[in-house]
Amino acid sequence: MLLDVENLVVEVHGRRVLRGVDLHIGEGEVHVVMGPNAAGKSSLLASIMGLSKYRVVEGKIVFNGEDVTNKPSYERALKGIALSYQIPPSIKGLKVKDFVSAMLSKYKCSGDYFIAKMLGVDYLMDRYLFVGFSGGERKRMELYITLLQNPKLAMLDEPDSGVDIDSINRIVSAIRMLVERKTSILLVTHTGHILDKLVDEGGIDTVHLMMNGRIVFSGLPDEVIPLVFKYGYKKAVEKLQRLGQK
Amino acid sequence: MSEWLRRIRERAEKALDKKAKYGPDIDLSRYNRREPSDASDILRLASEPAKRIGLSEKEVSRASYVQVDERIWHGMIVEGLRKQGVIVTSTGEALEKYPWVRDYYWRNIPVDLDKYTAAVELYSGGKGYFIYVPPGVKVKIPVYTCLLITSSWEAQFVHNIVIVGDGAELNLITGCAVPHKVAGALHIGVSEFYVGRNAKLSFAMIHAWGRGVHVRPRTSVRVMEGGSYVSYYLVHSDVASIQAYPSVRLDKNARTHTASIILGSSNSIYDIGSEAVLQGEGSSAEIVSRVIGRDESWIAARSRIKALASPSRGHIECLGLPLSKKATIIALPELESRVEGAELTHEAAIGKIAEEEIEYLMSKGFTEEEARALILRGFMRVEVPGLPLQTQKLIDATIKLLSEKATG
Repeated sequence: MLLDVENLVVEVHGRRVLRGVDLHIGEGEVHVVMGPNAAGKSSLLASIMGLSKYRVVEGKIVFNGEDVTNKPSYERALKGIALSYQIPPSIKGLKVKDFVSAMLSKYKCSGDYFIAKMLGVDYLMDRYLFVGFSGGERKRMELYITLLQNPKLAMLDEPDSGVDIDSINRIVSAIRMLVERKTSILLVTHTGHILDKLVDEGGIDTVHLMMNGRIVFSGLPDEVIPLVFKYGYKKAVEKLQRLGQK
Repeated sequence: MSEWLRRIRERAEKALDKKAKYGPDIDLSRYNRREPSDASDILRLASEPAKRIGLSEKEVSRASYVQVDERIWHGMIVEGLRKQGVIVTSTGEALEKYPWVRDYYWRNIPVDLDKYTAAVELYSGGKGYFIYVPPGVKVKIPVYTCLLITSSWEAQFVHNIVIVGDGAELNLITGCAVPHKVAGALHIGVSEFYVGRNAKLSFAMIHAWGRGVHVRPRTSVRVMEGGSYVSYYLVHSDVASIQAYPSVRLDKNARTHTASIILGSSNSIYDIGSEAVLQGEGSSAEIVSRVIGRDESWIAARSRIKALASPSRGHIECLGLPLSKKATIIALPELESRVEGAELTHEAAIGKIAEEEIEYLMSKGFTEEEARALILRGFMRVEVPGLPLQTQKLIDATIKLLSEKATG
């Protein structure tokens, strides 16, 4: 397994946000996490990334055979974990091109103009990072940065929320590119569009449903997604659990 | 001595005890005044301090005017400039050779402004650079000048005059520095800049002084109708004290954009300002400063825009970032209007580096120090419209080094 999360319990400022999560992702696998607001989806991604306010109380995170539970986020990033933020912070003064050039030298890769063009971020290079960006520009830039990192595991936190249809197509192309690179993906999403595209292509291996800080059901996309859209999270989970497919 | 010069000297003599409005008072008698001597080893002496202001040996050798202590050296480039009618020499020589220079001598700044201007008149011995660009001549390559002090307890007095004729253009880069070994010194530089009608002057000045050095620049700029003056100032070293409050007077439709970047350290005192006087209709000014306070540094960032004509526009942006509990930053923006219809605004803020920005960059693989350096670099990097690419590149490289040093 590339990633093994075992019985992960996490607190933020004393408030429990994850209550014992188990998650296992193999190389090149695509996993989707769904769930209602405040279920702990973003907290799970942030905890795997190692953001400082997410304090691990119990359990462990093993990445590529190494226990990274107590490693700082930058070490995890350099080991191949990437997080594409749902809402990245605006950094006034830091030009996109300067940040990109720092990333290129950090990850010893060359800038791929084609990728910037494909994601539609090429014209943003002279702007300050995320300052005054539209929803779509923010998401596309985050994916571009994730692609520059060329990670082993890409965690994408709602890459399709609040963006227009053109941006969604670009975002799907970027995810496809990650799949082609055999990057493992952990994707948090609410909406149907991006899922439809990925499901149709047979790109998703497992769908996890999260509620109240736990993964309450894991199954195949064809089984889980239609029920979620039909009944909503709570009823879908009840039905799936009754069917004994857990 | 001619009568007009005698009168100037008399006024200077009377002002020798006149304290400046801002900054600690300096006892000028504590410093030595060196006599001019052989200039043969000037480039060797210049190489170490010049590096501190981002100039390589090659760039120094190409500089138009290098003054090490009291010795002056002119690079080959001066010959090339001469073909365009551009004059680069010392102010003393210019006064001797060209009688018309008198019309620009102490015309922007009164010789008796304070004891420092007075001392420059009495002790500079004609040192300081004089640059004249004839009307319509656009000097493409930046002109470098360096003013360096290499021995301790020396006083350097310079009087610079720059004249950019109507419709002409000049990009000037000045570096002032001391080598690390200099324990204490004094630098007083008077600069009178004249920007003609529809002319453009860009001026970048980088200072790298030492812990015991007191610095008192006195700069005044006159921008005539339709002209433009762009200035970029960066000080990034320890200093005993530096106090400067350059003033730009703008005629009809003239504009200025000034940026001051102050990276304070140790227990240095930086009292640095910028003043723009909008005296012509349609004139405009933008004054930007970025201040970083480390260690026990004390920094006052003054800025003032005074509107005497309408319509006119002015904006002040002053941002401070203390990086130490013992550093002091004072932001003092002042707006004054004596007319109806002037638009004057300001924005002043003293803040801190947002933790979420550090966190974000760390999650992208940067250590905390690297993340801080990236953010500091962004904070210090001010875009100055009208600054030539070559100048901007020199500044960017210096800023990059400084931001890494500031967090290391």
